[in-house]
Amino acid sequence: MSTTSAWLVLALPLAGTILIALGFKAWPGRTAGWLGTAAIFASFVFAVITFLDLQDQDEHHRQVVSTLFDYANTVGVDAKLTILVDPLSVLMILVVTGVSALIHLYSVTYMTGDRGFARYFAYLNFFVFSMLLLVLAGNFFVLIIGWAFVGAASYLLISFWYRRKTATAAGIKAFVINVVGDIGLTLGAFFIFKHTGTLDFLGTFEQAGEFGTNNGDLVAGLILLLVGAFAKSAQMPFHTWLADAMEGPTPVSSLIHAATMVTAGVYLIARMWPLFEITPAAAAVGAVVGCATLFIAATIGLAATDIKRVIAWSTMSQIGYMVMAVSSGAYVGGMFHFMTHAFFKALLFMGAGSVIGAMAGAQTMDKMGGFRRAMPFTFGCMVVGGLALAGIPPFSGFFSKDEILALLADRGGWHVALVVVGYLGAFITAIYTFRMIFRVFLGDPVPEARELEQGHLAHAEVHVNPTDGEVEDTDVGFPGPEHFIAEREAPMKVAMGLLAILAAVGGLVYIPHVTSWLHDFLHPTFAESRYFEELEPSGTLTIVGMLIGTAVGLAGIAVAYSIWVRRPGTAARWQARFPAVYRLLHNKWYFDEILDALFVRPAALLGRFAQSTFERFVVNGAIVGGATNIVRAGSQAVRAAQTGLLRSYAATLLLGVAAVILYFLIRS
Amino acid sequence: MPIEWYLVVSALIFSVGAAGVLTRRSPLVVLLCLELMLNAGNLALIAFSRMWGNGDGQTFAVIVMVVAACEVVIGLGLIVAMYRRRLPIDVDDLRELHG
Repeated sequence: MSTTSAWLVLALPLAGTILIALGFKAWPGRTAGWLGTAAIFASFVFAVITFLDLQDQDEHHRQVVSTLFDYANTVGVDAKLTILVDPLSVLMILVVTGVSALIHLYSVTYMTGDRGFARYFAYLNFFVFSMLLLVLAGNFFVLIIGWAFVGAASYLLISFWYRRKTATAAGIKAFVINVVGDIGLTLGAFFIFKHTGTLDFLGTFEQAGEFGTNNGDLVAGLILLLVGAFAKSAQMPFHTWLADAMEGPTPVSSLIHAATMVTAGVYLIARMWPLFEITPAAAAVGAVVGCATLFIAATIGLAATDIKRVIAWSTMSQIGYMVMAVSSGAYVGGMFHFMTHAFFKALLFMGAGSVIGAMAGAQTMDKMGGFRRAMPFTFGCMVVGGLALAGIPPFSGFFSKDEILALLADRGGWHVALVVVGYLGAFITAIYTFRMIFRVFLGDPVPEARELEQGHLAHAEVHVNPTDGEVEDTDVGFPGPEHFIAEREAPMKVAMGLLAILAAVGGLVYIPHVTSWLHDFLHPTFAESRYFEELEPSGTLTIVGMLIGTAVGLAGIAVAYSIWVRRPGTAARWQARFPAVYRLLHNKWYFDEILDALFVRPAALLGRFAQSTFERFVVNGAIVGGATNIVRAGSQAVRAAQTGLLRSYAATLLLGVAAVILYFLIRS
Repeated sequence: MPIEWYLVVSALIFSVGAAGVLTRRSPLVVLLCLELMLNAGNLALIAFSRMWGNGDGQTFAVIVMVVAACEVVIGLGLIVAMYRRRLPIDVDDLRELHG
């Protein structure tokens, strides 16, 4: 099979980046945005062609490797620019390019008026390119490059409004945590490479059988890989950057959460399945951390007041489900949830962006309310996204989440505990999702909503940073002066409408015991997996799981309705009654503070010690000072000979020559 | 005439030159004495050349004379330059390069 189309999937976003970046001052109006969107759409078309090509192949030939050139093919190293086209990577590129294309389309309107418009699209295209490189990588070498590119692109976009102090701080935080993950990934890859002697994925997997169960080196290597995956996918304890990453423009949040970046960790674990299956110890770490993250992030979502941060915590929670699934052998469930999550999470962020537009940049839900009549389209999209996130049938999230929990229940043993936490998390998810929707769209309309009902879009006289209230202008480095809502802008409406349809019906590709398209499609990648075929939840288990899932989802919505719509004061009363719980959730379980005390402060202290003591006394005093002192003392001694008196030099010369001659005369 | 006489004369002239270089303070005289030393060397070279009946020594002497001429040009040039800048014409006073 020809892999040209797969290479084009990679090449087009890169070409878009370069083209937009080179002419960033020259592109008139929205040209840069349309160019970027066209590049990603074309990339999506080629992804579809790749998919069709792959489906034409025989079942056993659906893992195609293509090498562009050898980077370093020397003794013991085979670093090549290789891509691996197989069902798993094709599923990833389809979702990544498809959802990214819609986000680009949305951004064309959303970012209009921003002085960094062209720069934004150059970054955005680069982000998509990096993610595609990551998922198409055919060996650890390319994977690490893509992995690092994604981290760099996320830094550029999170601190896109670079004159905002909060945004640059968030960018640095994301980058530093991601670099910790990069180190984990690189070291982990090295641990594996040390044994297999090849960087190639398929070559590595072929040798996987030679490791015994829970081989010590492999456990260490995989846990290091998990560190990389946790940092990229915002799992505990590396999750703190994701909520701060909301400082970026809203479509960027959408891109990070739905298509690129955070799903990279899930992909990595799924890609490494042959190694994880023979190393249950490492897989258990992944499953438990995913499970803990899904619960903790969901509880924090209950107390968040920033509309974007609520969705961010829900992402962390949903990625927790995926990590838990792919670590426990529920590959189809994990990848299925990845796909549906990409649809509804991109949709939710776009809806949030529309609401923020109507609020003229304000993001806190305390000031929102009653937008239902003013923004019917956004309301509809948010409800579809919310129902999918809460797992209400027949929306997409319902099928994928229940698939994960059913597969885990079928696995049995201690995984049943994970299932219980999973349902608990689903209950909380439904509460906070509809808390957000009820608080924003129901209740008494706020002035902005009333104005919008009259046909006037709120306009901020003074622009402020939604995080700390600092006053800003609208020049480059700060958000532009204009705000947009989906009701009035066709590109936003199209992007949200398509995603709403996908979020509603996306789950139908895999209904247990009815359609098994996704399972059959992914089969070639996981053909030799122990769990892929074995985990087959029985009809009863599936139906019971679905009933419980529906029940907890509906119960969560009912709870949210009674707290925030029927008796609006309830939440405040509960806060007063359980102040300790509220403080714990409001401060995000104190993870920032714990990490600060454990790593940031000791590192800063060590740095200050190095600067004030070590550098002063050891470097400057002993090493540099010692060397100069030796030279100075030596030259002091030699200087005495340099009298500057010509006659003494002549005498020395003569005496010296005489001495040499005398020596030879005596010897001969 | 045996070669010893030539060598004795050459050694005497060389010693006179060396003594002059070491004792005199005027750069002009130092240069003169250097010339004496060089010519003492030339004398010895030519004497040896005659003794062996070989032209190499004479060739060498011619080269030494060329070198001596160059050296005088530079040395006298330096002295003229010093005179123009009204520096003391005394090698003991010109010791700015002392350590």
